[in-house]
Amino acid sequence: MKKKLATVWLGGCSGCHMSLLDIDERILEVAKLADIVKCPIVDGKPFPEVDIALVEGSVTSDEHYEEILHIRKQAKVLVALGDCAVMTNITGMRNYFPLQDVMAAAYTHSPSNDGEGMWPNHAALLKLHGKVLPLQSVVTVDVVVPGCPPSADTIFYVLYELLNDRMPDLSTAQKLKYG
Amino acid sequence: MPVITVYINGQKISTESGVTILEVCKANNIPMLTLCHLKGLHDIGACRLCLVEIEGVNRLLSGCTTQVADNMMIRTDTDRIKRYQRITVELFFAERNHVCAVCVANGNCELQQAGYAVGLDHIRYPFLYPECNVDTSHPWFVMDHNRCIMCTRCVRVCTQVEGAGNWGVMNRGHDVRIISDFNTPWGESSTCTDCGKCVHACPTGAIWPKAVAQGQLTKYPEMIGELVEKRKLLQ
Repeated sequence: MKKKLATVWLGGCSGCHMSLLDIDERILEVAKLADIVKCPIVDGKPFPEVDIALVEGSVTSDEHYEEILHIRKQAKVLVALGDCAVMTNITGMRNYFPLQDVMAAAYTHSPSNDGEGMWPNHAALLKLHGKVLPLQSVVTVDVVVPGCPPSADTIFYVLYELLNDRMPDLSTAQKLKYG
Repeated sequence: MPVITVYINGQKISTESGVTILEVCKANNIPMLTLCHLKGLHDIGACRLCLVEIEGVNRLLSGCTTQVADNMMIRTDTDRIKRYQRITVELFFAERNHVCAVCVANGNCELQQAGYAVGLDHIRYPFLYPECNVDTSHPWFVMDHNRCIMCTRCVRVCTQVEGAGNWGVMNRGHDVRIISDFNTPWGESSTCTDCGKCVHACPTGAIWPKAVAQGQLTKYPEMIGELVEKRKLLQ
């Protein structure tokens, strides 16, 4: 019975997904053991029930918050992929400042809009939270894979262990990396 | 110095008295995690990573500031020590704003290496996200308080090796900060000799030359110990 695998991209830069693609032909090994049922290039279906969910990025907004709670319900094993998911990383650098200052820096005072920019405010847009949170502050995380991004070797190692019903141990595998 | 006998992790070791547990471990190739220790500087036991258990002592002691005594039974490898070491490194990461991905010291950082050594894969404590200054007033060097872990290696090297006494420590607790002179911009310092020893002594990316970019920083902290040895020969 093949496992179901899904990936999702919250508050991050998609670099971890690029690193996932860098496993190159080893994706065939993954495909033998799992079907990739959801990823950022699959159109807007709700996140399905899966065996393994790779979650890139931190929780920065109401949309991410709802999504990670939903993913936690749907996934048997939730993997926090990359430094943003594990320790907020660059996305958390706005946590040193009040949200109003961050918005003003981006939309009012940036050189391109001469102090007259409009803050985006539409019902369809996500609402930024005051503080960016790592995944484990919001939900229970089963596997953490730090790195910015984690190397393709590390991601393949983690996937291959999980797909073979083993728990990856980055410390003993000497694959820990931050940044 | 009289020769005494100590037992480290069950291994019987003969050593002269008046030396620290860390020195004995180093001389006998017993691994010991350190961060605020730098050869050539006085040890102060600031980072609490070189913890040891000593039979008959309830609390954990720092190996770099505890001297050996005859028949001392020392352990450096217990689960309790490993647990506390991991907690300590996690608290280093949680206390200030360590963003490895944008740091000049990425890949060449003693805090990262300490994290790998204790198996740190995530931080279980809430991040404090303090607002920290970045002092770029010096013509060549930067002091980034976001990345400082208060090991005070810069303070000690400036006072004990260079003899300039530019760096100092201000406040307590999580407000504690390294200061130049009396908390004035580094570039305006009247004591700094621009020697750059603090740049090499700093274990993280807190003090770095302006000439380097992200992940490009190389440091040579061993230089401090070598310098101290060379100066002894001149005396």
